[in-house]
Amino acid sequence: MNAERHEDLAALAALDLITHAEHSEFTAALAEHPELAAIAASLRSTAAELAHTAPAAEPPADLKIRLLKTIAGDARPVPASVAQSPRSTILPFPTWIGFATAACFACLAAYFAQAYFNQSALNSAFRDQQNLADLSLHSTKNQLAAERLIAQRELADAAKRAADTAALITTLESRLAETKQRLFAQGTLADYKIATLASLLGNSPQAVAVAIWNPASQEGVLTVQKLPALAADKDYQLWVIDPQYSIPVDGGVFKVDPTTGEGRLIFHPNRPVQTVAKFAVSLERKGGVPKAEGPMVLIGP
Amino acid sequence: MPLLLSTHLSGYISWTNRVQEFEPARTIRRMKTEPTADLSDARHAADARLLGLVATGDSAALGELYDRFSRPLYATALRILNDPGEAQDIVHDAFVAVWEKAASFETARGTAFSWVLTLTRNRAIDRLRSRRRRHELLETSTLSDLGLDENSSGPGADSAASSSDQATTLRAAVAALPADQQRALTLAFFSGLTQEEIAARLETPLGTIKARIRRGLLKLRDQLAHRL
Repeated sequence: MNAERHEDLAALAALDLITHAEHSEFTAALAEHPELAAIAASLRSTAAELAHTAPAAEPPADLKIRLLKTIAGDARPVPASVAQSPRSTILPFPTWIGFATAACFACLAAYFAQAYFNQSALNSAFRDQQNLADLSLHSTKNQLAAERLIAQRELADAAKRAADTAALITTLESRLAETKQRLFAQGTLADYKIATLASLLGNSPQAVAVAIWNPASQEGVLTVQKLPALAADKDYQLWVIDPQYSIPVDGGVFKVDPTTGEGRLIFHPNRPVQTVAKFAVSLERKGGVPKAEGPMVLIGP
Repeated sequence: MPLLLSTHLSGYISWTNRVQEFEPARTIRRMKTEPTADLSDARHAADARLLGLVATGDSAALGELYDRFSRPLYATALRILNDPGEAQDIVHDAFVAVWEKAASFETARGTAFSWVLTLTRNRAIDRLRSRRRRHELLETSTLSDLGLDENSSGPGADSAASSSDQATTLRAAVAALPADQQRALTLAFFSGLTQEEIAARLETPLGTIKARIRRGLLKLRDQLAHRL
Protein backbone atom coordinates (compact mmCIF):
# COMPACT_ATOMS: atom_id res chain seq x y z
CA MET A 1 0.00 0.00 0.00
CA ASN A 2 1.48 3.35 -1.03
CA ALA A 3 1.22 6.84 0.39
CA GLU A 4 -1.13 7.93 -2.38
CA ARG A 5 -3.66 5.30 -1.33
CA HIS A 6 -3.34 6.47 2.26
CA GLU A 7 -4.01 10.02 1.15
CA ASP A 8 -7.02 8.85 -0.85
CA LEU A 9 -8.47 7.24 2.25
CA ALA A 10 -7.65 10.23 4.44
CA ALA A 11 -9.29 12.61 1.97
CA LEU A 12 -12.44 10.48 1.72
CA ALA A 13 -12.56 10.21 5.51
CA ALA A 14 -12.17 13.97 5.83
CA LEU A 15 -15.32 14.43 3.75
CA ASP A 16 -17.16 11.52 5.38
CA LEU A 17 -17.31 9.75 2.02
CA ILE A 18 -15.41 6.69 3.12
CA THR A 19 -17.13 3.33 2.71
CA HIS A 20 -17.22 0.59 5.33
CA ALA A 21 -14.55 -1.42 3.53
CA GLU A 22 -12.36 1.63 3.12
CA HIS A 23 -12.90 2.53 6.75
CA SER A 24 -11.56 -0.85 7.86
CA GLU A 25 -8.62 -0.43 5.50
CA PHE A 26 -8.02 3.09 6.79
CA THR A 27 -8.15 1.97 10.42
CA ALA A 28 -5.58 -0.72 9.72
CA ALA A 29 -3.37 1.78 7.90
CA LEU A 30 -3.58 4.20 10.83
CA ALA A 31 -2.50 1.45 13.17
CA GLU A 32 0.41 0.58 10.94
CA HIS A 33 1.40 4.15 10.07
CA PRO A 34 0.78 6.50 12.99
CA GLU A 35 1.99 9.45 10.93
CA LEU A 36 -1.10 9.01 8.75
CA ALA A 37 -3.24 10.37 11.60
CA ALA A 38 -1.63 13.79 11.23
CA ILE A 39 -2.36 13.78 7.49
CA ALA A 40 -5.95 12.75 8.13
CA ALA A 41 -6.35 15.49 10.72
CA SER A 42 -4.92 18.14 8.42
CA LEU A 43 -7.18 17.05 5.53
CA ARG A 44 -10.23 17.02 7.79
CA SER A 45 -9.40 20.51 9.01
CA THR A 46 -8.88 21.63 5.42
CA ALA A 47 -12.16 20.09 4.28
CA ALA A 48 -13.94 21.88 7.11
CA GLU A 49 -12.75 25.18 5.73
CA LEU A 50 -14.95 24.55 2.70
CA ALA A 51 -17.79 25.68 4.91
CA HIS A 52 -16.59 29.23 4.36
CA THR A 53 -17.29 28.86 0.65
CA ALA A 54 -21.00 28.53 1.23
CA PRO A 55 -23.07 31.59 0.33
CA ALA A 56 -23.02 33.99 3.25
CA ALA A 57 -25.93 33.58 5.58
CA GLU A 58 -26.55 35.15 8.96
CA PRO A 59 -28.32 33.01 11.54
CA PRO A 60 -31.17 34.80 13.31
CA ALA A 61 -30.20 36.55 16.52
CA ASP A 62 -32.68 34.57 18.60
CA LEU A 63 -30.96 31.31 17.69
CA LYS A 64 -28.16 32.03 20.14
CA ILE A 65 -30.67 32.97 22.83
CA ARG A 66 -32.57 29.75 22.14
CA LEU A 67 -29.34 27.76 22.38
CA LEU A 68 -28.29 29.35 25.67
CA LYS A 69 -31.75 28.74 27.11
CA THR A 70 -31.51 25.12 26.09
CA ILE A 71 -28.16 24.54 27.75
CA ALA A 72 -29.18 26.56 30.82
CA GLY A 73 -31.49 23.68 31.74
CA ASP A 74 -28.79 21.12 31.20
CA ALA A 75 -27.10 19.95 34.41
CA ARG A 76 -24.35 18.18 32.52
CA PRO A 77 -21.73 16.86 34.95
CA VAL A 78 -18.17 17.96 34.41
CA PRO A 79 -16.01 15.09 33.11
CA ALA A 80 -13.50 13.82 35.64
CA SER A 81 -10.58 14.28 33.30
CA VAL A 82 -11.49 17.91 32.82
CA ALA A 83 -12.24 18.52 36.47
CA GLN A 84 -8.83 17.20 37.46
CA SER A 85 -6.88 19.32 35.01
CA PRO A 86 -4.91 22.33 36.31
CA ARG A 87 -7.19 24.62 34.30
CA SER A 88 -10.12 23.66 36.46
CA THR A 89 -8.81 25.86 39.28
CA ILE A 90 -10.00 28.96 37.46
CA LEU A 91 -13.54 27.79 36.91
CA PRO A 92 -16.20 30.15 38.24
CA PHE A 93 -17.15 28.96 41.71
CA PRO A 94 -20.94 29.15 41.41
CA THR A 95 -20.98 27.33 38.11
CA TRP A 96 -20.16 23.95 39.50
CA ILE A 97 -20.59 24.19 43.24
CA GLY A 98 -24.31 24.64 42.88
CA PHE A 99 -24.67 21.62 40.68
CA ALA A 100 -22.36 19.61 42.91
CA THR A 101 -24.25 20.58 46.05
CA ALA A 102 -27.58 19.86 44.44
CA ALA A 103 -26.28 16.56 43.14
CA CYS A 104 -24.98 15.65 46.61
CA PHE A 105 -28.29 16.52 48.24
CA ALA A 106 -30.16 14.66 45.56
CA CYS A 107 -27.96 11.61 46.01
CA LEU A 108 -28.29 11.77 49.80
CA ALA A 109 -32.03 12.24 49.57
CA ALA A 110 -32.34 9.36 47.17
CA TYR A 111 -30.11 7.22 49.37
CA PHE A 112 -32.04 7.94 52.56
CA ALA A 113 -35.36 7.56 50.80
CA GLN A 114 -34.26 4.23 49.46
CA ALA A 115 -32.96 3.21 52.88
CA TYR A 116 -36.22 4.35 54.52
CA PHE A 117 -38.37 2.39 52.12
CA ASN A 118 -36.13 -0.65 52.42
CA GLN A 119 -36.29 -0.49 56.24
CA SER A 120 -40.04 0.03 56.18
CA ALA A 121 -40.48 -2.96 53.95
CA LEU A 122 -38.17 -4.97 56.22
CA ASN A 123 -40.09 -3.92 59.34
CA SER A 124 -43.37 -4.82 57.71
CA ALA A 125 -41.99 -8.22 56.80
CA PHE A 126 -40.78 -8.73 60.38
CA ARG A 127 -44.18 -7.72 61.75
CA ASP A 128 -45.89 -10.18 59.47
CA GLN A 129 -43.50 -12.91 60.54
CA GLN A 130 -44.07 -12.05 64.22
CA ASN A 131 -47.84 -12.16 63.78
CA LEU A 132 -47.56 -15.52 62.10
CA ALA A 133 -45.29 -16.76 64.89
CA ASP A 134 -47.74 -15.48 67.55
CA LEU A 135 -50.62 -17.15 65.79
CA SER A 136 -48.68 -20.38 65.55
CA LEU A 137 -47.70 -20.16 69.23
CA HIS A 138 -51.30 -19.52 70.27
CA SER A 139 -52.50 -22.45 68.21
CA THR A 140 -49.82 -24.67 69.70
CA LYS A 141 -50.79 -23.60 73.24
CA ASN A 142 -54.43 -24.43 72.57
CA GLN A 143 -53.48 -27.78 71.17
CA LEU A 144 -51.27 -28.53 74.18
CA ALA A 145 -54.06 -27.52 76.57
CA ALA A 146 -56.50 -29.81 74.78
CA GLU A 147 -54.02 -32.65 74.81
CA ARG A 148 -53.34 -32.04 78.50
CA LEU A 149 -57.06 -32.28 79.31
CA ILE A 150 -57.35 -35.44 77.27
CA ALA A 151 -54.30 -36.89 78.99
CA GLN A 152 -55.67 -35.98 82.40
CA ARG A 153 -58.97 -37.67 81.62
CA GLU A 154 -57.20 -40.73 80.28
CA LEU A 155 -54.98 -40.77 83.38
CA ALA A 156 -58.02 -40.56 85.67
CA ASP A 157 -59.72 -43.33 83.74
CA ALA A 158 -56.58 -45.43 83.89
CA ALA A 159 -56.26 -44.80 87.64
CA LYS A 160 -59.89 -45.76 88.13
CA ARG A 161 -59.39 -48.85 86.04
CA ALA A 162 -56.26 -49.67 88.01
CA ALA A 163 -58.11 -49.23 91.27
CA ASP A 164 -60.94 -51.42 90.04
CA THR A 165 -58.45 -53.98 88.86
CA ALA A 166 -56.64 -53.86 92.17
CA ALA A 167 -59.92 -54.34 94.00
CA LEU A 168 -60.80 -57.18 91.67
CA ILE A 169 -57.43 -58.72 92.25
CA THR A 170 -57.93 -58.37 95.97
CA THR A 171 -61.34 -59.93 95.70
CA LEU A 172 -60.07 -62.73 93.52
CA GLU A 173 -57.12 -63.28 95.80
CA SER A 174 -59.50 -63.41 98.73
CA ARG A 175 -61.74 -65.84 96.90
CA LEU A 176 -58.74 -67.84 95.90
CA ALA A 177 -57.60 -67.98 99.48
CA GLU A 178 -61.03 -69.00 100.60
CA THR A 179 -61.21 -71.61 97.90
CA LYS A 180 -57.80 -72.86 98.80
CA GLN A 181 -58.82 -72.95 102.42
CA ARG A 182 -62.04 -74.69 101.60
CA LEU A 183 -60.31 -77.11 99.34
CA PHE A 184 -57.75 -77.67 102.01
CA ALA A 185 -60.53 -78.18 104.48
CA GLN A 186 -62.37 -80.49 102.15
CA GLY A 187 -59.29 -82.36 101.26
CA THR A 188 -58.74 -84.06 97.98
CA LEU A 189 -60.87 -86.66 96.29
CA ALA A 190 -58.24 -89.29 97.00
CA ASP A 191 -58.73 -88.71 100.68
CA TYR A 192 -62.47 -89.50 100.50
CA LYS A 193 -63.67 -92.86 101.82
CA ILE A 194 -66.41 -94.49 99.77
CA ALA A 195 -67.97 -97.66 100.98
CA THR A 196 -70.83 -99.86 99.85
CA LEU A 197 -72.90 -101.49 102.56
CA ALA A 198 -74.46 -104.87 101.89
CA SER A 199 -77.68 -106.23 103.33
CA LEU A 200 -77.68 -108.66 106.22
CA LEU A 201 -81.46 -109.05 106.20
CA GLY A 202 -83.01 -112.24 105.05
CA ASN A 203 -86.26 -110.55 104.11
CA SER A 204 -84.61 -107.63 102.28
CA PRO A 205 -81.59 -108.94 100.48
CA GLN A 206 -81.83 -106.15 97.84
CA ALA A 207 -81.23 -103.46 100.43
CA VAL A 208 -78.08 -101.51 99.72
CA ALA A 209 -76.34 -98.39 100.97
CA VAL A 210 -73.38 -96.18 99.95
CA ALA A 211 -71.38 -94.08 102.40
CA ILE A 212 -68.98 -91.28 101.45
CA TRP A 213 -66.69 -90.06 104.18
CA ASN A 214 -64.43 -86.95 104.26
CA PRO A 215 -61.92 -87.49 106.98
CA ALA A 216 -60.66 -83.90 106.76
CA SER A 217 -64.01 -82.42 107.56
CA GLN A 218 -65.17 -85.37 109.70
CA GLU A 219 -68.34 -85.40 107.64
CA GLY A 220 -70.07 -87.97 105.48
CA VAL A 221 -73.16 -88.85 103.45
CA LEU A 222 -75.09 -92.04 103.58
CA THR A 223 -77.63 -93.02 100.94
CA VAL A 224 -79.81 -96.13 101.31
CA GLN A 225 -82.29 -97.92 99.07
CA LYS A 226 -84.86 -100.70 99.47
CA LEU A 227 -84.66 -100.87 103.19
CA PRO A 228 -87.77 -102.23 104.90
CA ALA A 229 -90.15 -99.72 106.30
CA LEU A 230 -89.70 -98.93 109.96
CA ALA A 231 -92.12 -99.37 112.79
CA ALA A 232 -93.21 -96.24 114.52
CA ASP A 233 -90.99 -96.85 117.54
CA LYS A 234 -87.92 -97.74 115.56
CA ASP A 235 -85.07 -95.87 113.71
CA TYR A 236 -82.14 -96.96 111.67
CA GLN A 237 -78.82 -95.89 113.28
CA LEU A 238 -75.41 -95.50 111.50
CA TRP A 239 -72.24 -96.70 113.18
CA VAL A 240 -68.60 -95.85 112.21
CA ILE A 241 -66.15 -98.49 113.21
CA ASP A 242 -62.76 -97.01 114.10
CA PRO A 243 -60.14 -99.42 115.42
CA GLN A 244 -58.97 -96.84 117.93
CA TYR A 245 -62.27 -97.22 119.80
CA SER A 246 -63.51 -100.38 121.42
CA ILE A 247 -67.13 -99.76 120.40
CA PRO A 248 -68.50 -98.23 117.15
CA VAL A 249 -68.89 -94.50 117.02
CA ASP A 250 -72.45 -93.19 116.71
CA GLY A 251 -73.15 -91.68 113.30
CA GLY A 252 -76.76 -90.65 113.87
CA VAL A 253 -80.26 -92.01 113.15
CA PHE A 254 -82.38 -91.79 109.97
CA LYS A 255 -85.68 -92.95 108.52
CA VAL A 256 -86.54 -94.32 105.09
CA ASP A 257 -89.41 -93.76 102.72
CA PRO A 258 -91.87 -96.51 103.63
CA THR A 259 -92.81 -97.11 100.01
CA THR A 260 -89.39 -97.06 98.33
CA GLY A 261 -87.14 -97.83 101.25
CA GLU A 262 -84.82 -94.87 100.27
CA GLY A 263 -83.18 -92.57 102.73
CA ARG A 264 -80.34 -90.04 103.07
CA LEU A 265 -78.23 -88.98 106.03
CA ILE A 266 -75.48 -86.37 106.35
CA PHE A 267 -73.66 -87.49 109.39
CA HIS A 268 -71.12 -86.14 111.82
CA PRO A 269 -69.76 -88.72 114.18
CA ASN A 270 -70.02 -87.77 117.81
CA ARG A 271 -66.33 -88.65 118.29
CA PRO A 272 -63.28 -87.88 116.16
CA VAL A 273 -62.72 -90.59 113.65
CA GLN A 274 -59.22 -91.28 112.53
CA THR A 275 -59.57 -94.38 110.44
CA VAL A 276 -62.81 -95.82 109.06
CA ALA A 277 -62.65 -99.60 109.06
CA LYS A 278 -66.36 -100.23 108.30
CA PHE A 279 -69.76 -98.56 108.25
CA ALA A 280 -72.73 -100.38 109.77
CA VAL A 281 -76.47 -99.74 110.07
CA SER A 282 -78.58 -101.28 112.84
CA LEU A 283 -82.26 -101.22 113.75
CA GLU A 284 -82.65 -99.43 117.06
CA ARG A 285 -85.39 -97.96 119.19
CA LYS A 286 -86.58 -94.59 118.27
CA GLY A 287 -84.05 -91.78 118.86
CA GLY A 288 -81.06 -94.11 118.82
CA VAL A 289 -78.84 -95.59 121.46
CA PRO A 290 -75.19 -94.86 122.59
CA LYS A 291 -74.17 -98.45 122.01
CA ALA A 292 -75.61 -100.76 119.37
CA GLU A 293 -78.31 -103.08 120.76
CA GLY A 294 -80.56 -104.14 117.84
CA PRO A 295 -79.88 -106.31 114.87
CA MET A 296 -77.30 -105.22 112.18
CA VAL A 297 -79.01 -104.68 108.83
CA LEU A 298 -76.23 -103.28 106.64
CA ILE A 299 -72.46 -103.44 106.87
CA GLY A 300 -69.54 -102.58 104.59
CA PRO A 301 -67.24 -102.59 103.01
CA MET B 1 -3.16 40.82 4.43
CA PRO B 2 -2.79 43.70 6.93
CA LEU B 3 -6.59 43.98 6.92
CA LEU B 4 -6.87 40.26 7.55
CA LEU B 5 -4.34 40.54 10.31
CA SER B 6 -6.14 43.37 12.01
CA THR B 7 -9.48 41.53 11.82
CA HIS B 8 -8.12 38.47 13.43
CA LEU B 9 -6.23 40.47 16.00
CA SER B 10 -9.33 42.32 17.11
CA GLY B 11 -11.14 39.03 17.59
CA TYR B 12 -8.31 37.55 19.54
CA ILE B 13 -7.88 40.59 21.74
CA SER B 14 -11.54 40.43 22.79
CA TRP B 15 -11.15 36.75 23.41
CA THR B 16 -7.96 37.14 25.41
CA ASN B 17 -9.74 39.54 27.73
CA ARG B 18 -11.83 36.56 28.92
CA VAL B 19 -9.28 33.80 28.92
CA GLN B 20 -5.96 35.43 29.36
CA GLU B 21 -4.51 32.37 31.02
CA PHE B 22 -5.08 30.39 27.83
CA GLU B 23 -3.76 32.99 25.43
CA PRO B 24 -0.24 33.99 26.33
CA ALA B 25 0.73 37.50 25.33
CA ARG B 26 3.74 36.25 23.47
CA THR B 27 1.43 34.49 21.02
CA ILE B 28 -0.23 37.76 20.15
CA ARG B 29 3.07 39.46 19.70
CA ARG B 30 4.23 36.69 17.45
CA MET B 31 1.07 36.96 15.39
CA LYS B 32 1.92 40.55 14.69
CA THR B 33 5.25 39.61 13.27
CA GLU B 34 4.31 36.26 11.66
CA PRO B 35 0.85 36.77 10.20
CA THR B 36 0.53 33.52 8.17
CA ALA B 37 0.66 30.00 9.56
CA ASP B 38 1.11 31.22 13.13
CA LEU B 39 -2.08 33.21 12.93
CA SER B 40 -4.00 30.19 11.70
CA ASP B 41 -2.50 28.03 14.42
CA ALA B 42 -3.39 30.58 17.06
CA ARG B 43 -6.95 30.72 15.81
CA HIS B 44 -7.29 26.95 15.99
CA ALA B 45 -5.61 26.86 19.39
CA ALA B 46 -8.00 29.48 20.71
CA ASP B 47 -10.94 27.49 19.33
CA ALA B 48 -9.65 24.35 21.02
CA ARG B 49 -9.24 26.14 24.34
CA LEU B 50 -12.72 27.55 24.09
CA LEU B 51 -13.95 24.03 23.52
CA GLY B 52 -12.00 22.97 26.60
CA LEU B 53 -13.87 25.59 28.63
CA VAL B 54 -17.16 24.39 27.22
CA ALA B 55 -16.24 20.90 28.42
CA THR B 56 -16.02 22.30 31.94
CA GLY B 57 -19.54 23.65 31.72
CA ASP B 58 -18.72 27.22 30.80
CA SER B 59 -21.78 28.46 28.96
CA ALA B 60 -20.10 31.79 28.22
CA ALA B 61 -17.41 29.91 26.32
CA LEU B 62 -20.09 28.19 24.34
CA GLY B 63 -21.56 31.59 23.50
CA GLU B 64 -18.16 32.75 22.36
CA LEU B 65 -17.72 29.62 20.28
CA TYR B 66 -21.14 30.23 18.76
CA ASP B 67 -20.14 33.72 17.77
CA ARG B 68 -17.06 32.35 16.06
CA PHE B 69 -18.60 29.36 14.29
CA SER B 70 -22.29 30.01 13.77
CA ARG B 71 -22.05 31.89 10.45
CA PRO B 72 -20.14 29.28 8.44
CA LEU B 73 -22.04 26.49 10.14
CA TYR B 74 -25.41 28.06 9.42
CA ALA B 75 -24.35 28.86 5.85
CA THR B 76 -23.28 25.26 5.36
CA ALA B 77 -26.50 23.85 6.77
CA LEU B 78 -28.53 26.25 4.70
CA ARG B 79 -26.57 25.34 1.60
CA ILE B 80 -27.17 21.63 2.21
CA LEU B 81 -30.83 21.85 3.22
CA ASN B 82 -31.95 24.99 1.42
CA ASP B 83 -34.36 25.62 4.29
CA PRO B 84 -33.65 28.38 6.87
CA GLY B 85 -35.83 26.83 9.57
CA GLU B 86 -34.22 23.43 9.27
CA ALA B 87 -30.78 25.02 9.08
CA GLN B 88 -31.44 26.83 12.36
CA ASP B 89 -32.56 23.60 13.98
CA ILE B 90 -29.43 21.85 12.75
CA VAL B 91 -27.13 24.57 14.12
CA HIS B 92 -28.99 24.60 17.41
CA ASP B 93 -28.77 20.81 17.76
CA ALA B 94 -25.12 20.81 16.76
CA PHE B 95 -24.21 23.32 19.46
CA VAL B 96 -26.21 21.37 22.03
CA ALA B 97 -24.13 18.36 21.00
CA VAL B 98 -21.01 20.48 21.43
CA TRP B 99 -22.18 21.39 24.93
CA GLU B 100 -22.75 17.75 25.80
CA LYS B 101 -19.75 16.18 24.08
CA ALA B 102 -17.05 18.82 24.23
CA ALA B 103 -14.95 16.63 26.52
CA SER B 104 -14.64 14.04 23.77
CA PHE B 105 -12.92 16.44 21.37
CA GLU B 106 -9.35 15.46 20.52
CA THR B 107 -7.04 18.04 19.00
CA ALA B 108 -5.02 15.31 17.33
CA ARG B 109 -7.94 14.46 15.07
CA GLY B 110 -8.41 17.94 13.64
CA THR B 111 -9.31 21.49 14.54
CA ALA B 112 -12.14 22.43 16.83
CA PHE B 113 -13.89 24.02 13.89
CA SER B 114 -13.65 20.83 11.85
CA TRP B 115 -15.10 18.86 14.78
CA VAL B 116 -18.05 21.22 15.22
CA LEU B 117 -18.54 21.42 11.47
CA THR B 118 -18.67 17.63 11.26
CA LEU B 119 -21.40 17.61 13.92
CA THR B 120 -23.34 20.18 11.91
CA ARG B 121 -22.77 18.77 8.45
CA ASN B 122 -23.58 15.20 9.42
CA ARG B 123 -26.86 16.34 10.94
CA ALA B 124 -27.71 18.37 7.90
CA ILE B 125 -26.97 15.48 5.56
CA ASP B 126 -28.96 13.09 7.74
CA ARG B 127 -31.87 15.52 7.64
CA LEU B 128 -31.48 15.85 3.92
CA ARG B 129 -31.62 12.12 3.45
CA SER B 130 -34.43 11.62 5.91
CA ARG B 131 -36.78 13.93 4.12
CA ARG B 132 -36.24 11.90 0.97
CA ARG B 133 -35.04 14.72 -1.23
CA ARG B 134 -31.96 12.87 -2.19
CA HIS B 135 -33.50 10.92 -5.00
CA GLU B 136 -35.23 14.02 -6.25
CA LEU B 137 -32.00 15.95 -6.22
CA LEU B 138 -30.21 13.24 -8.13
CA GLU B 139 -32.87 13.13 -10.77
CA THR B 140 -33.80 16.77 -11.21
CA SER B 141 -31.08 19.01 -9.94
CA THR B 142 -28.38 20.54 -12.04
CA LEU B 143 -24.91 21.45 -10.97
CA SER B 144 -26.01 25.02 -10.52
CA ASP B 145 -28.74 23.79 -8.15
CA LEU B 146 -26.03 22.19 -6.11
CA GLY B 147 -24.06 25.42 -6.03
CA LEU B 148 -21.88 24.55 -9.00
CA ASP B 149 -21.87 26.48 -12.23
CA GLU B 150 -19.77 24.68 -14.74
CA ASN B 151 -19.13 27.97 -16.48
CA SER B 152 -18.03 29.75 -13.37
CA SER B 153 -14.69 29.56 -11.69
CA GLY B 154 -16.18 28.18 -8.46
CA PRO B 155 -17.65 29.43 -5.25
CA GLY B 156 -15.35 32.40 -5.23
CA ALA B 157 -17.43 33.93 -7.99
CA ASP B 158 -20.60 33.79 -5.95
CA SER B 159 -21.85 37.32 -5.49
CA ALA B 160 -23.45 36.33 -2.23
CA ALA B 161 -20.24 35.00 -0.83
CA SER B 162 -19.24 35.70 2.66
CA SER B 163 -17.79 39.12 3.09
CA SER B 164 -15.39 37.97 5.71
CA ASP B 165 -11.72 37.91 4.92
CA GLN B 166 -11.54 34.30 5.91
CA ALA B 167 -14.27 33.39 3.46
CA THR B 168 -12.63 35.46 0.79
CA THR B 169 -9.36 33.69 1.36
CA LEU B 170 -11.03 30.32 1.21
CA ARG B 171 -12.88 31.15 -1.95
CA ALA B 172 -9.71 32.35 -3.54
CA ALA B 173 -7.93 29.18 -2.59
CA VAL B 174 -10.74 27.02 -3.93
CA ALA B 175 -10.89 29.11 -7.09
CA ALA B 176 -7.25 28.39 -7.65
CA LEU B 177 -7.99 24.69 -7.88
CA PRO B 178 -8.63 23.06 -11.24
CA ALA B 179 -12.34 23.16 -12.12
CA ASP B 180 -12.81 19.37 -11.98
CA GLN B 181 -11.34 19.30 -8.46
CA GLN B 182 -13.56 22.21 -7.41
CA ARG B 183 -16.65 20.42 -8.64
CA ALA B 184 -15.67 17.16 -6.97
CA LEU B 185 -14.92 18.85 -3.65
CA THR B 186 -18.04 20.98 -3.67
CA LEU B 187 -20.31 18.05 -4.46
CA ALA B 188 -18.55 15.94 -1.85
CA PHE B 189 -18.94 18.64 0.80
CA PHE B 190 -22.42 20.05 0.23
CA SER B 191 -24.48 17.51 -1.68
CA GLY B 192 -24.57 14.60 0.72
CA LEU B 193 -23.91 12.28 -2.20
CA THR B 194 -21.76 9.16 -1.93
CA GLN B 195 -18.61 8.56 -3.94
CA GLU B 196 -20.49 6.52 -6.50
CA GLU B 197 -23.26 9.08 -6.75
CA ILE B 198 -20.76 11.88 -7.30
CA ALA B 199 -19.05 9.81 -9.98
CA ALA B 200 -22.39 9.14 -11.64
CA ARG B 201 -23.41 12.73 -11.37
CA LEU B 202 -20.21 13.94 -12.98
CA GLU B 203 -20.13 10.98 -15.39
CA THR B 204 -16.57 10.27 -14.31
CA PRO B 205 -14.93 7.01 -13.18
CA LEU B 206 -14.96 6.48 -9.41
CA GLY B 207 -11.19 6.24 -9.21
CA THR B 208 -10.86 9.57 -10.96
CA ILE B 209 -13.29 11.18 -8.53
CA LYS B 210 -11.28 9.86 -5.57
CA ALA B 211 -8.09 11.21 -7.10
CA ARG B 212 -9.65 14.63 -7.73
CA ILE B 213 -10.87 14.81 -4.14
CA ARG B 214 -7.46 13.83 -2.81
CA ARG B 215 -5.55 16.22 -5.01
CA GLY B 216 -7.98 19.03 -4.42
CA LEU B 217 -7.81 18.71 -0.67
CA LEU B 218 -4.02 18.49 -0.63
CA LYS B 219 -3.68 21.57 -2.81
CA LEU B 220 -6.24 23.44 -0.76
CA ARG B 221 -4.36 22.55 2.40
CA ASP B 222 -1.14 23.83 0.96
CA GLN B 223 -2.68 27.04 -0.33
CA LEU B 224 -4.42 27.77 2.97
CA ALA B 225 -1.20 27.23 4.80
CA HIS B 226 0.28 30.07 2.81
CA ARG B 227 -2.74 32.35 2.60
CA LEU B 228 -4.01 32.28 6.21
